[in-house]
This record gives sequence, C-alpha cells and structure tokens, in this order.
Amino acid sequence: MTTFIIRRLIQTVITIAMLSFVCFYILSLMPGDPVDILASSNPHITSEDVARLKALYGLDKPAYVRYMNWLKTVITGDLGYSRTYKIPVSELIGPRLANTFFLSLAALGLSILVAIPLGIIAALKQGTKFDYVINLGAFAGISVPSFWLGIVLILAFSVWLGMFPAGGTFTIGAGELSGWEFIKDRMKYMTLPVLSLTALQLGSFVRYARSSMIESMRADYIRTARAKGLSRLTVVLGHGFRNALIPLVTVIAISFSFIFSGAIITETVFAYQGVGKLVYDSVIANDFNVAMIAFMISVAMVLVMNLVADILYGYLDPRISYG
Amino acid sequence: MLLAQSSWGAIQKPTNEVLRIGITQEFENLNPVLMQMMATTIIYKMVNRNLMTMDATPKWIPQLVKSIPSLANKGARIYTENGVKKISANWEILPNAVWGDGTPITGYDVKFAWTVARTPTVSVGEREQYDQIEDIKVDEKNPKKFTFIYKQAKWDFARLGTFYVLPKHLEEEIFNKYSKENEGYAKNSQYTRNPTNPGLYNGPYRVEEIKLGSHLSLIPNEKFYGKKPNIKKIILKLIPNTGTLEANMLSGTIDMVSELGFTFDQALAFDKKIKAEHLPFKINFKEGLTYEHIDLNQENPILKDVRVRKALVYAINRDNLVKALFEGKQKKALHMISPMDPWYTDDPKKITLYPTDKAKAGQLLDEAGWKMGPDGIRVKDGQKLSLPFMTTAGNKTRELVQVYLQKEWKSVGIDIQIKNEPARVFFNETTKKGKYGGMAMYAWISSPENTPRAQLHTANIPNAANGWSGQNYPRWTNPEVDKIIEEIDVTFDPKKRKNLVAKVLKAYTDEVPVIPLYYRAEVSATPVNQSGYQLTGHQFSSSNTIENWNLQ
Repeated sequence: MTTFIIRRLIQTVITIAMLSFVCFYILSLMPGDPVDILASSNPHITSEDVARLKALYGLDKPAYVRYMNWLKTVITGDLGYSRTYKIPVSELIGPRLANTFFLSLAALGLSILVAIPLGIIAALKQGTKFDYVINLGAFAGISVPSFWLGIVLILAFSVWLGMFPAGGTFTIGAGELSGWEFIKDRMKYMTLPVLSLTALQLGSFVRYARSSMIESMRADYIRTARAKGLSRLTVVLGHGFRNALIPLVTVIAISFSFIFSGAIITETVFAYQGVGKLVYDSVIANDFNVAMIAFMISVAMVLVMNLVADILYGYLDPRISYG
Repeated sequence: MLLAQSSWGAIQKPTNEVLRIGITQEFENLNPVLMQMMATTIIYKMVNRNLMTMDATPKWIPQLVKSIPSLANKGARIYTENGVKKISANWEILPNAVWGDGTPITGYDVKFAWTVARTPTVSVGEREQYDQIEDIKVDEKNPKKFTFIYKQAKWDFARLGTFYVLPKHLEEEIFNKYSKENEGYAKNSQYTRNPTNPGLYNGPYRVEEIKLGSHLSLIPNEKFYGKKPNIKKIILKLIPNTGTLEANMLSGTIDMVSELGFTFDQALAFDKKIKAEHLPFKINFKEGLTYEHIDLNQENPILKDVRVRKALVYAINRDNLVKALFEGKQKKALHMISPMDPWYTDDPKKITLYPTDKAKAGQLLDEAGWKMGPDGIRVKDGQKLSLPFMTTAGNKTRELVQVYLQKEWKSVGIDIQIKNEPARVFFNETTKKGKYGGMAMYAWISSPENTPRAQLHTANIPNAANGWSGQNYPRWTNPEVDKIIEEIDVTFDPKKRKNLVAKVLKAYTDEVPVIPLYYRAEVSATPVNQSGYQLTGHQFSSSNTIENWNLQ
C-alpha cells in the first residue's frame, strides 16, 4: 500500500506540473491580454502605452518564457501579484478559498447526510409512492437552474420573510467578531447559499445512492446473508450498504475535489465572497497569476481525491489489493 | 412576486446614519495613479479630490486648486523655446486643503505624483496627462504654488481630469525603496499595504475598511477642507449579479444602486414597478456620452461604396427604435458627439442628416448596381447583397436592436447575417483586427470636447506595426480629417475649434464610416428621501459631490 501511495503521489506531482503548462498555454491562447483589454476600454491609451505596459508585464515575451518565469516565482513560494486587484495573490485568494471551503463543505456534508438515507430507503421501497416522490424530488433538484433557485430563495427568505440577508459573506461594519458571535454571523449569510447548493447536489446523490443500493441488494451475497438468518438491519447496513458504498465513494470523492473550486453561479447570486467568481473574473481579465493558482488547486484536489478514493476502495472491498 | 409584495410596507427609508450602495463591478485598491477600473474611479471620488473636475452641466471646475489657469485669466502663457511653442501654467492649491492626517497638500505632492506616474516600473494605464508636462516648478516660499511647463502648446492643457495627486509624505520613502523593481511600488504602496491610513485621502470621506471583491466602508474625513458630508457612513457592497439588485433593495440589504448597477432594461422595468407599487425608491435616468453605433468595415467590397453605406442609414427608423426599445429615454444619435457636449451640432448646414427614407435607400442601392432579386434580396453580378452583422453575445439590448434592424434592412432587399461573439473575442480579436467583415455594433465611451483622434485618425487604425492599438475599427481613412484633428489640438479659440469639429462631423456624416444609433443613458436607483444627488452622464461620476447627499 505504501509503495502504491508513493508511486501515485509522484505521478500526481508530475501530472500537476504538466497540466500547469497546459493551463498556462491555453490561457495565453485566449484573444487579448490584460493590456489589450485595457486599451480597448480606454480611448486615451496610446500605442506607446500599450508597448510600455506589455514590456513591464512581460507580455511581449513568448508563452514558454512567461511560463518559466511564473514557475520560478511560484516555486519560491511567491504566488505572484494580481493585476486586477493590485495585491499579492496569496492575500487575495486565501480568505476566498476559506469561504468557498466552508460553503462547499457544509453543502456537501448536508447533501450526503440527507441523500444517502433517502437513497437507501427509496431503494428498499422501490416502486412505492415514497420512491416516486423521492425520485421526483431528485430530478427536480438536478433540473432546477441554480440562478433561478437562488433568486427564489432570496425572494422567499430575504424579501418576504426577512429571515436571512439577501447576499454577502458577513455583516459589514460589525467589527471583529469572535467565538459564537462570529459563527452565528457567518451562518446567517451561509444559510441560503448552502440551501441552494444542497438542493442542487442532493438529487444526484440520491439517484446514485438509490441505484447503487438496488444493485447491491440484488446480489447473491445478500441472499446468502438472508439465508443465514441475519437480521434485516445487518443485511441492509452490513452487507447491502457496505457494497453499495464503493461506487458512491467515487462520486463523493470527486465532489470533494471541487470543494475549493467554488460554485460560481451560487456565489455570484448571493454575492458570497468565494473563489468561483474570482476565478471566472481572473480568466476573463487574463489575470494569469490568480487564474493559474486557482487552476492548480483544482487540479491537485481532483488528483488527490482520486487517490483517496482508490485507497478507500481497498478498505471497503477486500477483493481490491494494491501490489 | 406575490410573496414579495406583502413586505413592501416594511422597507425602511435610510437615514444619514448609513447609506448602503450596491455596485456590480469589481474595484481595486485606491492608488489613483494605478487604478484602471471604472468602479474604482467612482469610489475614488468619494475619498479624494483632483486638481479639477467636471460638474454635471458639464463644466470644468477647480477642486483642489483656487482656479484653473487659462490664457484669458493670465494664469497661463504661451512661449517659444528652441522653435517649439510651449505653455507655462500657474496653479495654487487651496490654503486649507490637507490630507486626512492633517498634512498640507502642496505642489510637492503634485510633483511626486507626476514623478511616480512617469516611472517605467510603475504600471500606469493612461499616461498622456502626465507625459504632456515637461517640468513642474514648486514655489519654495509658498509650496502651495507651482508651475507646469507643457512640452507643447495644446488648447486642452488645463483639462487635467485624470491627473491625480499622491501624499508624498507617506509614499515617497516606499517609492524610493521599490521603484527599481517592476511593479515594486504598486506592491508596497500604502494604498496596498495600509489602505485605511487617513493620510492617503483628502476627500469628504476616508476608508474605514476595504475588502476587495466584497465591500468598502467609508467614514467622514474630519480634515476635509470642503463642506462636511451629511451621511455618517457609506458602505459600498459588491453585488455581481445584476438580476439580484432589485431583491437586495427590496429586502433592505442595500439602499441605493450606483450607476454601475442596473442594465437599462432592468432599470426601465424597476421604474414601472416602483411607480405601480409606490415603492420608496427612485430610478434616475441621465443622458450620457456613451455612443452606441455600428462600424461599417471599409475593407468590405460591398461597403466600400458610399451609396450602400448611405442606403443602410436611410433604410432604418432610429426614432422608432429608441421609442420602441427605450421608451425615448435614450436619444437617437446623429453622430459621435452627444447633445450634452459643447461641440454638438444638429445643424443641417453643418452635417448630413439621414431621415428615414426607404425609397431613397432603394434608389441608392439601384444606382450602386444592386437590383432587387426574386426572393426580395438584391443582387449584383450574381452576388447577393448580404452583410454579416456582429455584436457582443448575450447583450439583450444589442440583440434586440439587431433583430429590429435586420427586419428594416430586409425591407429594402439587404440580407443580414447575425453572428455574435463573446465580448472578449469580439473586442480583442474581431473588431480590433478588422475581422468582422461587414458591420460591428458596440459603444464608444467619450468625454466632452474630446478630440476623436483614437476613433477617426488614420494612425489609429489598429495594425501589427502599432501593436493593434487605436480604435479606428471601421478602418476609415480621410487625410483631410487627419489634418483637422491635428489642427484642433493647437486651436485655442473655442469658436474656431468648434468649426473645425463641425468639419470633421461633416466628413463623418457624409462618408458614413459608422451608423450612429443612440446615446446611452446612465441609470441609478436611489431612496426616495435622498436629495443632493445628481447623475452626471460623464466619467466624473455623481460621487464627486457626495458631501451634498442627504437622507432626511
């Protein structure tokens, strides 16, 4: 197992390095650079200004030279400087990653907690009214556009009921809160985005849990377990659910991969200060340093969570071994 | 919507304790020589003042200085040095003007800002305002007084709307330490590292808290030299989704939406709702300088013929267009200069007007050899009269205009192929490199009495040699216009200058390199009890008079 993990970690580092170049190169292929964007929106920018700024930002150099410069800086621990916001990337992206992490984690945790029991019950009551209602709800969750759901939640809970703020991350001007006051304030602003994200994720998790459980409950070992006289609870949880978990682990691990990527539409609708909108804006504005760091975090998370899923398979299914 | 209606009565009118403003565009740090975003310039006006600015009329007025030097008031003089005509202009900072920490603002701050802005390692976008000055001499006996020596004698030498001042006492040490490394000053400036330092600001407010990408909180600057502001706290909250602005206002999360907020169609819809449901808000509309138009690519063989270009304008009813789509709140454009600009003219003796005349359009197309085909589309030498028409994808208003015009042109036998692109590609590749084939619809942002050099001069046709800079996207060349543009710059008599501009407009409307559509209006939403607020319609925003805002 140790050899397997070390080998996969080395592969992960190499993949990240290769993908970093691919991402950088693709970004550089986009029409216009930050100076072009500036020049197209300001008629007073002269050709001299364009040449001066391109030289200053190093945009007059080929993509591979710019990539090597970026890589050298990042390796020294300096994540660079955001041209859009004019502050270091670490100061910009750090708090936003934390905000996105808590938002995504809360939504994912809530989705899993609700979806798995619902999926299991629906599987065990396949073809009943309960199953139909759960399926209908799941499809509704999958189909509803996130921006629409966000606006409906704002109208219902902010405008009409006045229970939660319409948008934001924390109370502006409340000063430095700590302890329970801090948590309460954050929760007030996170509730609607978490509900929105949960509703969107819930449907697919319910569907996965249900189908996986149905398949598992049809297996020969379930019949054997029942024939041995085991209790229904032991058969369902100890044999059925444990085997149903294997495909679910992949889905959940991949969902965890996106925990730092941000939910751009939800964050935008609720004006939540997360990383999703930041990444989108940095790509559009060609703010390379911000976009590259965000990409690298996403790539690393996908690779690491896939590795975690592979390791978990071994624990869940004794037939899987890593030589 | 029924859900929402039951709570209208609960909307609280804001008081002078706090005003929360929604803004949809990102803002950056408030270092004036480095800022490039529109949202930042609006916020900047709340915390800092320039040497001069433009009011809502629009007229240039002094801000940090006693008066604006001119040849007439003898504050400036033209002289010749080594055969070059130059200008020397005397300025004086107001005696009571100080930074937020009480340090007097002097000519040394002005000279320091000029030095910073011209340093190659500092990423200043538009440097023309600083570059035109050859030297700044500060009066050692009275440092409030200083003299600008301009490299060339140009009429607009004193239009220094984007010449900013920096607090030398706070920034000089940082600048000296980091100015040798690329962007070293920007990374270490106090505006980046310690943005709540009161000494960085000299306007009616100073920054209490700034969270980029989220919000900014302002409190009154106790040392402000001018009128004390009425509102005790201003909070600017970034709400990136324009679709949720209305819900944010109705829920009481924000009290006001700045001019960088609602789209025009959203503002029209919200205005109706406010009136129908007696909501405590007001939608403000103000005619602006932004000019929506269609570039006609002069490299397209069909559009090379001026008769086809003229026919395109005669065929469309722009009066109906602005009535149908904008309820008359955005005005039809005759050319690139807006009615709020002193250079504007609608005199038919000076410019060529194009009233809707489909018969005339047809006649011009017939003369150009484009005869009506059996399918209702004109044909010449076996080729159909078909033109590609592009704009920014996803812009609802522009897409509606496209469909409206497509129908109008179809009625005179012109086939229009709509092909839109994301703004990023459209502006940075397609229009700039002349790849739009036929017609490209977008807007020019201007300022009053702005020589249209960037948009009309031949030297500003983007090409590889000039690094694809310039905004002459129609790729229009007229040597006479080029000459007049050069002449405008050095003509000091306002009447003569206006006549020269009229000559440019005559050529522009005669040759039709561009189809003028309409002037965009600025919109904002304010609480019904807010007074002292005025949209300007130009780049010096309403926030320039924030000290007059009152919520009683």
